[in-house]
This record gives sequence, structure tokens and C-alpha cells, in this order.
Amino acid sequence: MKYTMKPIKVIVSLILVFSVLSCEKDYLSPELESLINADIYYTTEEQLLTAVTNMYDGIQGVNSTSSNDYHAIQQEFYLTEMRSDNTRTKSSEGEAAQFENYSVQATNGIVEDYYRSFYNVIYRANIVLENIGVATDANRDKIEAEAKFIRAYAYFNLVRLYGDIPLVDRVINNTDTDISFTRVDTSIIYDLIISDLQNAISGLDNSYKRRASKAAAQAMLAKVYLTLRTNYVEAQILCEAVMQSGYSLHPDFEGVFYEELNSEIIFAIGYEPGGIDSQNFSAEWLNAVGRTSGVNYVTDDAKDALDALGGNRGLDVSYRVDIDQPTQHQVRKYIPNGEVDAYNGGDFTISDPTSAGNDWIVLRYADVLLMHVEAIMAGGNSTSVQAALDSFQEVRNRAGLTDTVTSITKQELLDERRVELAFENHRLFDLIRLNEAQTVLSNFSAENGYSFNASDLLLPIPQREINLSNGALTQNPGY
Amino acid sequence: MNLKNKLAILGILFLSISVFAQESYLLKGTIVSEVDDQPIPGVNVIVLNTTRGASTDFDGNFEIQVASGEVLQFSYLGYVTKTVIVDNQKTLQVSLAEDTSQLDEVVVIGYGTQKKSHLTGAISKVKNEKLDQISVPRVDEALVGQVSGVTIAATEGEAGSAPTIRIRGTGSITGSSDPAIVVDGLVVDNDFLGNLDMNDVESFEVLKDAASAAIYGSRGANGVILITTKQGKEGKTKFSYNTFTGFKQARQSEDYYFSVAETAQAELAATGTISDRTRVKQLLGVDRDWQDIIFEGGIITSHAFSARGGSEKTKFSTSLNYVHDEGVLLTDDYKKYAIRLKLDSKINDKFTIGASLNPSYSNRRRFDGSTHDILRQAPWLPVYVTEDILPFVNRLRDGGAYANVQVGDYATQRMFDDFDLVTMMPVESGGTDISNTSNTNPAAKVLERDRNDYKFKLAGSFYGKYKITDGLSIRSTLSGDYQDTRRDRWQGVLASRNGASATQLDISSERRVHMVTDNILSYDKVFGKHEINAIAGFSAEKWDTTFESVSGQGFESDLLQTMTAADPTTVTSVSYKLPERLMSYLGRLNYAYDDKYLLSLSFRRDGYSAFGPDSKYGNFPAASVGWIASNEDFLNESEVVTLLKLRMSYGVTGNPFFRTGDPLTDKFPYLSLLSPTTAIIEDGSAGFNPINLANPNLQWERSVEINPGIDFGLFNNIVTGSVEYYKRTSDELLINNPVSSTTGFSNGLVNIGEVENKGFEVELRTRNISKEKFRWSTTILASKNKNELVDFADSNGQIQNVDSKRAAEWINQVGNPISSFYGWVVDRDIPLQYINDPYHPVGGQSQDVYVKDLNGDGIIDDDDKTILGDPYPDFVWSISNDFKIGNFDVSFMFQGSHGAEVRNMGDQYLFNHFNSSQDYNTTTTPNQEFIREKIFTDDIIQDASYIALRNVNIGYTLPESLISKIFLTKARVYASGTNLLYFTASDYTGFNPESINETSPTTYGYQRAGSPINQTITFGLNLEF
Repeated sequence: MKYTMKPIKVIVSLILVFSVLSCEKDYLSPELESLINADIYYTTEEQLLTAVTNMYDGIQGVNSTSSNDYHAIQQEFYLTEMRSDNTRTKSSEGEAAQFENYSVQATNGIVEDYYRSFYNVIYRANIVLENIGVATDANRDKIEAEAKFIRAYAYFNLVRLYGDIPLVDRVINNTDTDISFTRVDTSIIYDLIISDLQNAISGLDNSYKRRASKAAAQAMLAKVYLTLRTNYVEAQILCEAVMQSGYSLHPDFEGVFYEELNSEIIFAIGYEPGGIDSQNFSAEWLNAVGRTSGVNYVTDDAKDALDALGGNRGLDVSYRVDIDQPTQHQVRKYIPNGEVDAYNGGDFTISDPTSAGNDWIVLRYADVLLMHVEAIMAGGNSTSVQAALDSFQEVRNRAGLTDTVTSITKQELLDERRVELAFENHRLFDLIRLNEAQTVLSNFSAENGYSFNASDLLLPIPQREINLSNGALTQNPGY
Repeated sequence: MNLKNKLAILGILFLSISVFAQESYLLKGTIVSEVDDQPIPGVNVIVLNTTRGASTDFDGNFEIQVASGEVLQFSYLGYVTKTVIVDNQKTLQVSLAEDTSQLDEVVVIGYGTQKKSHLTGAISKVKNEKLDQISVPRVDEALVGQVSGVTIAATEGEAGSAPTIRIRGTGSITGSSDPAIVVDGLVVDNDFLGNLDMNDVESFEVLKDAASAAIYGSRGANGVILITTKQGKEGKTKFSYNTFTGFKQARQSEDYYFSVAETAQAELAATGTISDRTRVKQLLGVDRDWQDIIFEGGIITSHAFSARGGSEKTKFSTSLNYVHDEGVLLTDDYKKYAIRLKLDSKINDKFTIGASLNPSYSNRRRFDGSTHDILRQAPWLPVYVTEDILPFVNRLRDGGAYANVQVGDYATQRMFDDFDLVTMMPVESGGTDISNTSNTNPAAKVLERDRNDYKFKLAGSFYGKYKITDGLSIRSTLSGDYQDTRRDRWQGVLASRNGASATQLDISSERRVHMVTDNILSYDKVFGKHEINAIAGFSAEKWDTTFESVSGQGFESDLLQTMTAADPTTVTSVSYKLPERLMSYLGRLNYAYDDKYLLSLSFRRDGYSAFGPDSKYGNFPAASVGWIASNEDFLNESEVVTLLKLRMSYGVTGNPFFRTGDPLTDKFPYLSLLSPTTAIIEDGSAGFNPINLANPNLQWERSVEINPGIDFGLFNNIVTGSVEYYKRTSDELLINNPVSSTTGFSNGLVNIGEVENKGFEVELRTRNISKEKFRWSTTILASKNKNELVDFADSNGQIQNVDSKRAAEWINQVGNPISSFYGWVVDRDIPLQYINDPYHPVGGQSQDVYVKDLNGDGIIDDDDKTILGDPYPDFVWSISNDFKIGNFDVSFMFQGSHGAEVRNMGDQYLFNHFNSSQDYNTTTTPNQEFIREKIFTDDIIQDASYIALRNVNIGYTLPESLISKIFLTKARVYASGTNLLYFTASDYTGFNPESINETSPTTYGYQRAGSPINQTITFGLNLEF
């Protein structure tokens, strides 16, 4: 016993040691099973299409309250409606209130979130473009067009909000600081947007509403030209192209917002109730429902405009009384999951209001009709061109304002856009595009004790980026 | 020779003269250890001043010829020498006390043991003498104040929650600063401390300096706690049963109680009248403290049964433990069951095998709420609607939302709005509103949720040890653990104001298998004056984790709390597998010459799967030297200095654990990873999204530490102790460094940055009185640590918040501690006359304050912000006293911590609820440009220092004569108290200065009211038979 034990023990030990030693090389490189190694991915068109889907995921943003997440379009209302005369916070609390009273700080988390989110969308689009080579010949142009539409959309949002910004037209990494920290003139950004959109128009058709389409690219390019105020003729042609593409106004204004993918929708960001593809902004605009709430409340100014000029688009259509605080008014266009009779969280019966499924409409036909008017007006103060009158009349008729329009002033166009597109993140850009922002917002600010001045029309470059650039990035004036 | 011996001898001299003629006779006796009453074989028994001597046999018995008046001396290594005067006894029972300062004690040092006298690093040993009588459910909680340089803070306070353990400060930013935990040689997750039972623990050894911890290589950077469990001893099988029952309550805060009566009084005094709101609140007739509701107190019970014993060849230990802690908070509850088996068997002279097995199960129900949210409720709000309150419920307002409220329903604030003080009836509108929130009842938020953690753990090992030649042996161990963790969380219909639409069920399950093979060759040899102790070994470890979770919403009622009852469109799930591998080569040489000159060298090379192909390995060397000066001739004869050892150590350790928030990227940070996404689009396929900036060059965080130290023993070791100085530089920190978001990412993991921790530790132990009937000893521990951020690359000066809505700031600035509180300095309060409604919702505090224009430029801006404090204690101490008076034993420990601050956000939540009605009046208030919200100032930065009477324990051991009749060998009853006295700094308003909400290491010290200190009174019983 004593002597037989020894060799056995030694052999067992040696086997133990060597069996582990022999597999050393693989031992420390276990297989990656639950994620994909990007370096060996994107070899087929099927794989490339996963990167296409991913672009839309980026725009959709994350439904969460974590400040580190990318909320993307879900927080756009802060930077647009709440900086116009349309909306404000209910209680002027926290960094959200900086928008309404024009005291935005460069450290504002929402300003940073949006910047980061849309550069992330650009990154996702650039991944598609970088790997476009794996697409089949049949689909290559279409996929490229789709990615370029998304990239143009992201840049168009960023350039209007932040001014001169870094131009990233390929996948970069953290050592490309010359690209990350160089602000490029808006005209160069617009050159990329125009060329991307032209590319998109030629490569896309009108099969989709929640994805890029030819009409969406045309409408967006029209808006780009209107924003640049350089090419009104081309803008008019583009609007008319969309007008001949089979879109039509929804007969019932309320239906625009509660029937997803209706005939009026040209491009919308899709959401579904519950789960990770839902959105939170619908609940945030209510009172005490879920997490953040009481933001994007309707200003008296917007309420008055809707009451006076909105026709059937006013009370209980575009806005409603906050039943908990009856002096306050809420947006009614995106009530979570269409439960328009629900006020308190407990009233919602279909699902959790903080996981709402309402799509976010980016482009709709009424916007195009009014852009059509704007293109024909071509920077003037009025128009009575019949084509413009027809488009304008079409929008007003649906609102129950059927009196015949014989001429349209710039003010009337601006007012019509305000009441038609209220709370859809157009107002600030409309004011800027039609060169009325300074006057209108100065008056609005004075009436409400805010501190608007011209430099507030651009947001600050996020302080985080400026800090990281070691002084290479300059700040916008006024911050 | 000490004084005691001298006196004894003097006495003998007198006696021997007077009674020299006394006749001698044969005395029979037994010598046992005072600790466990086990016989001690081999004790030297001599009659002083004679040549007569004897030694005890295997059963501790001796016989010796004595005469009355002679003095017997009993001495044995490891025990305090004792003398007894012979007084005609025929038999003698002597119990010897263990010499706690005994230097030839053996210390576990990782992959081996070492004589304590030969240690050259900073290792503290804590024996489990009375630790198992401290009525806490976790072993780590009982270690508070036991080891210098180790801080253990009850940061969470829920029953069963893990305290935060730091050995010599916080050294990591993205990584973990938790020490490595090793149980009987197996490196386990820290979570095991929650499943281990103190009754099974023999001792703790804490490896504090890097040289000692370096044998654990890449896991040593935060120090190592080695836990040795009890093993059976040769002899008769000994059964023991230990139990205690403790009555717990929460330490409440006086400052956080706001009664309606007090508010009314203050209001009347200030304004001469009582407002309508206050009048309505008074009418409701409810006025009490929400602390009484959520700090409900509880009972903790523990039962531990064990049988230990063995023969010369085989020793065994079995135990069964149960703990149930009801916690002091509403709903929190913790149960733990554990079994432990340990077996060692000598097959023959050369070959030993052994095995252990330890299954355990714990079930922890959580307090699923936040104290700040509940405590900021109105004192007038009842939990449930009662008959008395029913007439006040407004059935008209909010469209009749409360029309059907009945007795027994949860009361909500809005129910009581629009009360008309003229008709004394609720009205539809235009009455007095008293609510300040639309939230549901705070108790409902906790009671209507059910959140549980269920943990099953199984740790086991099997080893064989073979003695190859004299001194050379090999030990091969296969060990591992299995952890099955299931968590579920139910949020019921009544848990939120959003009703059924906010119902949710989350279930997750994680299984983790950890396997280790260690093969260690040891060589122990003494050649003359040379003593060598060396090991060389190889170790491979793997962890495989699988995780699944599923969440669903849209439950219609509370009836079915299963996923099948959820709205299927809302059900989402996640699952993944995580592999992790570690491979190590290690070696150590301990050398002593003549018990005077000591040297220790060690080296470990670790390879880790989470690093890139070219960066997988890292080296962790260490060296230390020591000189036992007291063994030199010039001190050998000293009557003062019994021991003097000088030592110096240097070591390199690593810290591999980083938490970017995504456990998957943490295991493969060297690869560019894609994770699945979805988007609502037509004809859409699944999506894949890049989730990280890959870094193939990542490596461990590295800690380099030097540690000079002195060990001393004075006056025959009546006074012993040690002094340490250490400086630990942690660099190559794994930081999720911010990058320009134009890259598509916000952060990327890199090795940069440096943190330094340096400080002193002092341990002092004295045996003040060592009489047989009265013994008193004292232990004093003190440590001082300074934390400093030395390099933080691009993140230097980074300012962060933990809540963007209430964005109080932290700064991470080089030259200061890792996290510092940042903001404005308070100048003065705003006089109450300028506050809009100073007595609603609570009394007399504005949420704003005047701040100082530090740079004097006339405006308050970011340039006037400054560092307001930091959350790290500078000085931590404890003083323990142990007494033994006859059959009674008494011990108590005071423990304190000084120099840390907390950002007590609770103040703002509780004093004014962030309520705009307590804002200042924007037209009348002067100098408004100097007003800022208090949360951005040092107003809520409070001194977190405390002094606590951590433990008191009074025990009585029943006389043997009594218990032997009922076949017991030992019976002891005791009463003990935990935190019976607890003093905080005067500016601290909360209920627990140690409580800290979990945030990142760069925003540490956030206390959102937190959870309370537990105060416990316990009664216990120890039986042996």
C-alpha cells in the first residue's frame, strides 16, 4: 500500500498539471458567445442590414432616465419647442428650465445628450457606408442612399442647433482628434447634407414611412434649401415632387397623431408600447406620471395662438387642460398610446404611459404643403400665386377654416405653421428660417421675464467636448 | 523575570523558611486550556527552587511530589505561565490562558503558513473568540474595529446587505476597491461573506501590505482577507450549540421629525396666526413620525450546532447554522442556512487527503424603496383610511377620483385637498389644498412591492498532500464554488400612483461556476541557524457565468404575480454567458537566519482572459526583510524590551476587476463588440450596435506599496503592539476615459491615472491584570489614511453629478482625494420673511441660501465654487477591553471614525421637499444674485464622524460542578449590545453617518437620507458537551 501509492499520486499530479499547461494558449482566450466581434463581422449584405437597422435604433433613442444613455429624438423637444414661444416646464425646475428662460449652460446635460446622440447616429450611418462593399450590386445604391439620408438628417438637426460643428464623414476613433475638435463652417456641413440627400433621392423609393424614402429625402432637401434661403426654385420643385407622390392630408386632424403610418406621414420614428422600443416623452409631457414629468407644457402664448387661429386644432386637439392643475395646459398630440382620456398614471389602462408607443412624426404632408407656400414666397413678404394659395387652402380647409385664401403674408404663413405644426419641434426653426426669431422671441422673453438675446439662437457646444479638446474647440458666442 | 514571579519567589522564600519541615505528598492534577477546556499535553510543571519537575500526559494529567507552601509553576508554549501555591490540596485543576501576544503563533499567509515571529509584511490576525456573539447576520459586519487599517462601514443598512470594506483606503476608480476574500485557500466572490457563518470561523488573517498580498498577484491590490474555518481536533468528539436572539431597533434622527403641532407653533410664533393649511392638517388629527412606520425594528436569531473531533489519523468538523434577521426596516428580512463539512485524513506517514463541502442558502427580502422618499411625507397623512379620517376624504374633486375610498384603503395626500374651513366639508374646488405630492401612500410603495434575492452557494475542495522527502511535499487541490442567484421583484398595483399601468415583474437568474486547480510544491527545512520555507506552484482558475432575466409589465391585478400574467407585448428578456480564465505561476521563499534576520521574496505571474493577446500576462514581485533586534545579545537580557522587530516590505499587486456597467464588455474589453438592437421599422432585421471602444493593450491596475513597520513587546509582553507606515501608489488605473462623442462613443477603457494612499497604523495590546480570578486586557487600534488623486489624465477636474435634476457636484481633481464635494460656500440663510410659504409642506426652511462670492468679482458663478470636503475618513480607531472576573466575562469596544463628510441630500428632501412654495419671494428678497440652491453648497455637506459603543458583552460561565451533572462540559450565558451608544457630529442631521448610496467611486459620499444604524440587545447561550 505504502509503496503503490507514491507513483499513482505523482502521476495524477503530473497529469493534472500538464493537462492544464498543454491547453494554455486557448485557455486564456475563451470563446465569445454572447456578443459579436466586430472585426470579423460585416462580410455579407445580411450582416450589413443589421447596421442599417441600427441607425434607426440610434434615432429612436433609449427610453430611460439615466443621464448616460443616448436619448436622441426623445429629448429633442427640450432644444426646439421649449426654446421657442410654444412650451415651457410646469414648475421651472432643474436644467430643463434653462431652455425656456434662455439661460442654457454649456454644461447642460440635455444639450450634451443630443449632441452625443446624433453624432452616434452619424457613426452608425458611417459604419453602413464603410462596409457598403459587401452589399449586392442590386441593393448597394439603395442601402447607401438610406445611410446617407440618415446621416443628412442627423447633420441637419445638429447644424441648425449648434452652428459650426465637426465634420465626421467616415468612421473615426479617439485618436482622430483633428476631426473631433475642428469646427467646420456650416456651409461645408450643408454641402455634405445636400450631396447626401441628392444621393438619397436617386437611390430610394417610397415604400416606407418609418424608414428613409425618396419623398422624405425630397422634403428634407426642400427644407434645407429653405433654411439656406438660396434655392427657392429647387425647393418648390422638390415639394411638388412630394405632392405628386400619393401622400394626402388625413381628413381628421386628430387622426394624424393617433393613426400610425396614415396617409399624411412621410417620415416618422417608430415606437411600440412597452419594452425597449418605447418612448418616454409622451409621459414626460403630462403631470406626475412616472419619472420625469411636467415638461413641454403649453405657454399661454401658444394657447392663445391656437385658440385664435387654430380652427378645429385648438383645445382638446392640440392641447388640453391639466386636470390636476387647471391653470396649466398640456400638449395633447402625443398622449401615451392614444389614451386621451387618461390624466393620472392610474387612468392608463392599455399600458404603462412611460413606455409609450406613439411614433414621432418627423415629416408630414401638411409641412410639405406649407413649405411649398414658403418656397413660392421665396423670401418675400407675401404671395398670391395660385399654387401657393391652393396648398395653403388645403391645410386650412382641414382645420375647418374654409374661408377662401386670396393672398398669404409671411406672418400668416408663420402663424399657420405654428398652429398646424404646434409641439412638433418646428416652431424654433420656422422662426429662424423666416427671419422672425429675433423679434418674436425678444417680445416673448420680455413678456415673461426671460433673458433672450440673439446668441441664444444657437446652443452651446457641450462643455464636455470643449474640455476634452484642450481648447481646440471654441464655444459659440454668449456662452 | 517579571514582577509577578519575583513576588512569588519572595513568598516562597518566607514560606519555605517557616514551613520547611512540612511533609511532602503526591499531588495529582489536570491542566486544561482556558479557551476550550481541552487538556493540554506536555505542560512543564516544576516546583520552584527545587529540582522536582513533571510534565502532563496526553490527557493533561500530572503527578508530582509537593509539600504545602511550595510554589508550582506551569508553563507551556503559547500559554501564559502560571504559578500556584501548594496548600495541602490533593488534586489540582489548572487552566492556562492562551498568550494572545505569543509570537510563535502560526499565521496563514496564502498558499502556506508562517511563524508570526518571522513575518516581514503587515498581516493582522483576528481569532474568533467572541466574534460569533456579535448579533449581526454577516461575518464581515462583525469585523468592525477588529483590524487596524481596515474600515468596514454599514453603507446600506438593510438586513443582510454587504458593508463596504476598505483596506488602507480606496485605490481604484473604475475598478473595485474591495479586498480579495479567500476561504480555506479558495478565492471566492465577496458575496460569500453573506453566506458564511461566524460560528464556523476559526480566524481571519488580513494581508494588508502589497508584499504580503502579492502572492495573490493580480487580485491583491486592495488587500486580502484570508478566512480559516474551524477544524476538528484530536480527541473526544466535541459538540457545541450556540444560539442568540437579538432585539433590533433603528437609531432615529430627531432632526427628521416634523410634527404638525411643532409647525403650527412655529408658524404662530412667527406670524401671529395659523394658516388655513395648517388648520386643516390639525383637523385631520394624525400627527406622527414616518420614521416609526418604516423603521419597524425586528428580531435576529441564530442557531449554530457543530460536532468536531477526530483520531490521530482523521479529523472532522461538521456544522449546521441558521440565522434569521428581520432587520429594522419595513419588509427587510434575511435568512441564511449553512452546512459545513471538513475532513482530513492521514492515509500514511507521507500521504494526506482532505475534503470540504459547504452548501449554503440565503433568502433576503429587500426594502424596495428609499427612505428619503418615504420620510418626506407629511406627518398628518395616515397610512390607511380610518373611520375617523373618512369624512375628510374629498369625494368630489379630481372628477370623483376618490368617491369610492373606503376604510382600510391606503390614504394619499390628494384625497384631502379642497377642504372648506367654513362649512368644514370637502368641496369640489376652491377649498384649502394641503397636499404637496400626487404620490401614493409611502408605506404602499414599500409594502406593495416584493423584492427578493435567493442565493444558493456551494463551495468545496478536495486535496491530496504527499511528502516526497523530508521537508519537500506537494499538495494538489481541486476546489471550486457554484453560485446560483435568483432575484425577483414585483411592483404591485397599489405600489405607485400609476396603478396597474405601472405593475412590473422582473426575474433574473445567474449561475456561476468557479473551478480552481492549485499545485503547490513546498519545501521546509532547518539547517542549523538557517530556516527555509519555500513554495513553487501553478494554478489555473475558470469562471463560467450564465445570466438570464425576464421582465414584464401590464398586470391587471396582484392576483397572479407570474410572468404568464404579464401583457405579452411588454415581456422582454436578456441572456448571456460570460467566460473568464486566470492562469498563474507562483513562488515564494521565506528565509530566517538565527531567528534574527528575515527575508521573504515572492513572485507571481498571472495570465487573464479579459486582456488582449499581447497583454494577457502580468508580473507581481515582492520582497521584504526583517530584523528581530530583541534576539541580539544587546537586547536579549533587557527587562523592558521583550520583542523588537524592524521590518520593511515592497510589493507589486494588481486589480483586475472593472465595472463599466456592462458585464459583457468587462470580460472582452480588448475586442470591438456588437450587441443586438432592435428598431421599429418596416421590413427590419435585427440590428447590431457597437458598444465599446476596444483596447487591446489593457492591463491590470497596478499597486506598488512600501511598508516599514515595527513590532514590539515590552515588560515580558505585557504590552505588545506594532506600528506601520505605508504608501501605496496605484497607477495604470483602468479608467473609462471620456472621449469626444463625435467618435460615436462617450468613453473608452484605458490604463491611466494614479491614486496614492498613505498612512499609519498602530496596534497596542496590553495585559493590564492577569490574576487567576481577575484578568483585564486592552486592545487599541488606530489608523490614519490620506487619499490623493495624483494623475487623472483627461479627466482631471472632471465635475459630475449623480442626479441631473438635483445636480449637486463632485470634482475629481489632482492633488485632492479621488472624489471631493464641489460647490459654493454658504454665506447666510435667507430670513424667513422672504420665503413665500415657509411652513408648507414642512416648517421653516428655504431650499435656497446666500452664498459667498469667493473671488470677490461681484457675481456668483462657477469661479466661486470650491472643494467642500471629501467622503473618506482620515482617522479610524477602536478600543476594546476584556475582563474576566471569576466566572463572569465582560468585554466592550468603542470605535470611531473621523474626518469624513457626507453630502446629506436627505436634508433637502426632508426640510423642504424641493418644494417651490418654500422658495424666496422674487420681488422682495434682496441680493438675489447671491442666492443659490442649498444642494449646490456646503449647507448639506456634513461631518460624518462618529464614536460608537460597537459591542458590549457580559457573560457568565456556569460552574463545572453544576453542569457536569447534566453532561455538559461548558455552559455560558451572555447578554450583548450593539451600537448602544452612538454619537455623531453636531452638524449631522441624519440617522447614519456611515450610510452611503451606491454611486461610482468618482461621486462617492452621496447620502439620500440612507438607512439607519441598527441598535441591538442580544441574549445568548453557548453549550458544549
